[in-house]
Amino acid sequence: MSANLSGVRHTRGFDIVKPLSITVMIAVMLPLVLLPLASIFIFGTANGLESFWHALTAPEAIFALKLSIVTSFWATVFNVVFGLFAAYVLSKYNFWGRNALIVTISLPTAIPTAVAGFALLLLWGPYGTLSRVLGEENVPEIMFTAWAIILANIFVTFPLAFGVIKPVFDTMNTSLEEASATMGATRLQTFWHVTLPSLRGALLGGALLTFARAVGEFGSTILVSGNLASRTQTAPLYIFAKFNEGQVEAANAIAIVLALLSFAIFSILFFARDYLETD
Amino acid sequence: MLESLANESAAVSIRDVSKKFGTTTVLDDINFDVAQDEIVVLLGASGSGKTTILRIISGLEMPGTGRVMLHGKDVTNLPARLRGTGVIFQSYALFPKMNVEQNIAYGLKLRRRSKSEIRKTIDRLVGMVHLEDHRKKYPSQLSGGQQQRVAIARALAYEPEVLLFDEPFGALDAQIRASLRREIRKLLKEIKVPSIFITHDQEEALELGDRIAVLNSGRIEQIATPYEVYTNPATEYVATFLGSANIIEGVIRGRTFQSEEISLEIPSDYDFRDGQPAKLVIRPEDIFLRRPENLMQNYQQLTEGVVEETSFVGAFERVGVRLPTHDGQRLIATRPKTETAAFQLYAGQRVTVGVVRFRILPDLTRLPLHANRAV
Ligand SMILES: Nc1ncnc2c1ncn2[C@@H]1O[C@H](COP(=O)(O)OP(=O)(O)OP(=O)(O)O)[C@@H](O)[C@H]1O
Ligand SMILES: [Mg+2]
Repeated sequence: MSANLSGVRHTRGFDIVKPLSITVMIAVMLPLVLLPLASIFIFGTANGLESFWHALTAPEAIFALKLSIVTSFWATVFNVVFGLFAAYVLSKYNFWGRNALIVTISLPTAIPTAVAGFALLLLWGPYGTLSRVLGEENVPEIMFTAWAIILANIFVTFPLAFGVIKPVFDTMNTSLEEASATMGATRLQTFWHVTLPSLRGALLGGALLTFARAVGEFGSTILVSGNLASRTQTAPLYIFAKFNEGQVEAANAIAIVLALLSFAIFSILFFARDYLETD
Repeated sequence: MLESLANESAAVSIRDVSKKFGTTTVLDDINFDVAQDEIVVLLGASGSGKTTILRIISGLEMPGTGRVMLHGKDVTNLPARLRGTGVIFQSYALFPKMNVEQNIAYGLKLRRRSKSEIRKTIDRLVGMVHLEDHRKKYPSQLSGGQQQRVAIARALAYEPEVLLFDEPFGALDAQIRASLRREIRKLLKEIKVPSIFITHDQEEALELGDRIAVLNSGRIEQIATPYEVYTNPATEYVATFLGSANIIEGVIRGRTFQSEEISLEIPSDYDFRDGQPAKLVIRPEDIFLRRPENLMQNYQQLTEGVVEETSFVGAFERVGVRLPTHDGQRLIATRPKTETAAFQLYAGQRVTVGVVRFRILPDLTRLPLHANRAV
């Protein structure tokens, strides 16, 4: 039967377009994406796994990875909780200036990250706006600390989480919530039992996107963190610093970890969302 | 105001309810009751305010003025969740992440009923709506008719004060609609839950309702039994919206209705002033066509006319007859098969038009006529 079918197809002639287009696609992607990624792994493990392991477990490297993960984690928590709240308010209530607010919230996506970091410095920094208005002694010194990294992460990634969660709210069938109300549910019960379950996929997506982006954040972090080794140096900053010092192997070990992390997150996004979003 | 007193025995009482959205009046002084084991159908064109009435009863919308009473209790200021109404939304609004059992259990869990009670209720309802084989399925795995039955079971679970159906058959095809509405009517009659049913399908209204309220741009034009609404429509709108009707404009002269060639004796129970403009309303099936001077006894002769066309529409024949009025008014008559066999009609044939039953409605859009003005 199947032999028959392929026979039929064969009589129509060999379709040259298919292999050709696949080849072209790979030929373009290879130098753009695949080869650079492969190089990280090839180079990083070139001197044997032992030296790779050594580079990876250097105290500075471990600290940088931990700092990246912890700051990204808190940015993620904030984005999911507050992104949910903001999306709820902005799609539920119509008020003057709502659209302006939505645009403003989404704006940081379009701002260069270095500008974002700079903007934070100008607000919180020792000579910044807050100090001028409130007096320097009344402004907490959060620049060049882990807090600054979290702030920068949030600034840069909040639009991502918001952008994933908000459309789900917008398209959600309001009669579900009305049905829940007529059945006797309070707003909180409705939110918990009806609204939230429909948002699981979007929340996971928003969280993973935030985390992936925050772990790799460089431009804003380098400005607000001070880039102090074992104090405020995140993993991407560590890569940059080691590379500048000529310690390519040290930089490479961390690069591998970050690449694998992104790959893992992307896989979860790809497979888990389908699963979560099936009704 | 006698009307404003709630009917103590009614399950639902709507009193003087009006509603505006912005400056447009959507509901205008709505009054009606639903008895404990009654099904009232709200029938009206799109935009006539049917859904708004339902939302006001369930508490999803506040009335501008007026009161809503459920079993004698004024609930006008009560939020939706405390009213205990069961709403079956047009799209069913089943919770997509809950399976059939969880959907049905939701209202009971909110009321903190015991596990064993919830289980018993689920078993009973799942059986009642014939979903035994689908208990663990999610809404997206069910057909439209099954989803609707889940929606009904879900609303029945917490013993609602009233069931409110917003065009529950809208999403289903014609055949299923017909069988489902019989099924639902039977069910509602068994469990004796007062129900309000929205539809804009006249057949559905006639078959489903104990009473029909006909809505026209925010007003109830008539509320009565299906038979009453059909045979004695209170307004021209009701006559033409529910079933089809021939309308002839004329004027009352003594005990007759006059319009050019037509002169029709009116029954004694009509109380019209002489010169009152009026409209004659005749259902197509109440018209009888005969050879001239050959009319049967219980028919009043309306006039003579000429057959324009005949068309066969399944169960009956539709005949267009031109009347000898100056504007050549057309009447539509329908004849059953037995008739068409006994007396064949063809275009151009002269016939006598008789009527067996008719309504005369005062025409409030025209001023009373004085003797010398032509109609
Ligand atoms: N929230 C609202 N804001 C403004 N206008 C509204 C609102 N809800 C309903 N309307 C208007 O009120 C009128 C009645 O609406 P309603 O939904 O009650 O009609 P309906 O009889 O249910 O119609 P349909 O058969 O199309 O469902 C319509 O003209 C509609 O545009
Ligand atoms: Mg409606």
